[in-house]
Amino acid sequence: MSESLIPAETLERVGEVLSGPVTTVIDRREAQRYAYAVGDENPVYFDEVAAQEAGYRTLVAPPTYVTHAVVQPRTASDLRTDGLYREGTRIRLLVDRVMFGGEEWDFLEPVCVGDEITATVRLAAVDQKEGRKGPFVRQVRETTFVNQFGDEVARSRMIGIAR
Amino acid sequence: MSTDTDTSAAAPNLQTLEAGQELPTMHKFPDEAQLFLYSAASHNPHRIHYDREYARFEGHDDIIVHGPLQGAWLTQFVTDWAGPAARLLGVTWQNRASGLPGEELVFSGTVTSVDSETGIVELEIAEHTSDGRLLMPATARVRLPTA
Repeated sequence: MSESLIPAETLERVGEVLSGPVTTVIDRREAQRYAYAVGDENPVYFDEVAAQEAGYRTLVAPPTYVTHAVVQPRTASDLRTDGLYREGTRIRLLVDRVMFGGEEWDFLEPVCVGDEITATVRLAAVDQKEGRKGPFVRQVRETTFVNQFGDEVARSRMIGIAR
Repeated sequence: MSTDTDTSAAAPNLQTLEAGQELPTMHKFPDEAQLFLYSAASHNPHRIHYDREYARFEGHDDIIVHGPLQGAWLTQFVTDWAGPAARLLGVTWQNRASGLPGEELVFSGTVTSVDSETGIVELEIAEHTSDGRLLMPATARVRLPTA
């Protein structure tokens, strides 16, 4: 087994809230702007009658839109040179590079226009694995999305690979 | 920025659907304008999606298609196939490589299981470039109407 790339202080943070809770209302124009940008012109995003015929309360948002809806406005002076915002909470790992490994989504209830969604991000897991190119760290940030009725509507796990 | 899908296909029928059946492919043709619109609509200021010189400095061949945009296409691929009365229950994807503007991206999939009682259908899906480079292997779970 290789040396640990995960400092003890980081292991202790598993389960910790990294950001949020943040609450936002799903806006029709913003959700539709997103659907157009994807090129996904499903009538259930644009036509109230079509949405209701499909069994929704009202217009629904594209499945993964909810994660973009909760992005908070930030000042441009918080941008790093790569264009990303500086993070409030950093997870310390003894690695050179972190890459996006993938994402896992559960869609539990529809997210409709007008819904009030509260998102909370937690550090769900940090594990060291042995790969073909040596040891790497798999880090999972889980976001839960809860609506105004108190129902969990979606859960996303963003997987970061660090080595 | 356009999509080619075979929209003539009827929504899948739970009674006749079987593991091993293939979904009709979907084709996407991302361009710079679409990447710009997606950055704006998803509030994503990451420079690798709009600054060609910076993207090359980071080792990419060009500005690259956003991972979450490729993910949103995977969900569209499934919901277009399943029809409006179906419900997408879950999707997973792995980022293997990035698509570039000007490339044709192809979405394909196979049914891996069908539960005719609950209507739950599992799919193995993927995004490739038209010359066969795998960008995202993925899975999806969808509930088809049972009545």
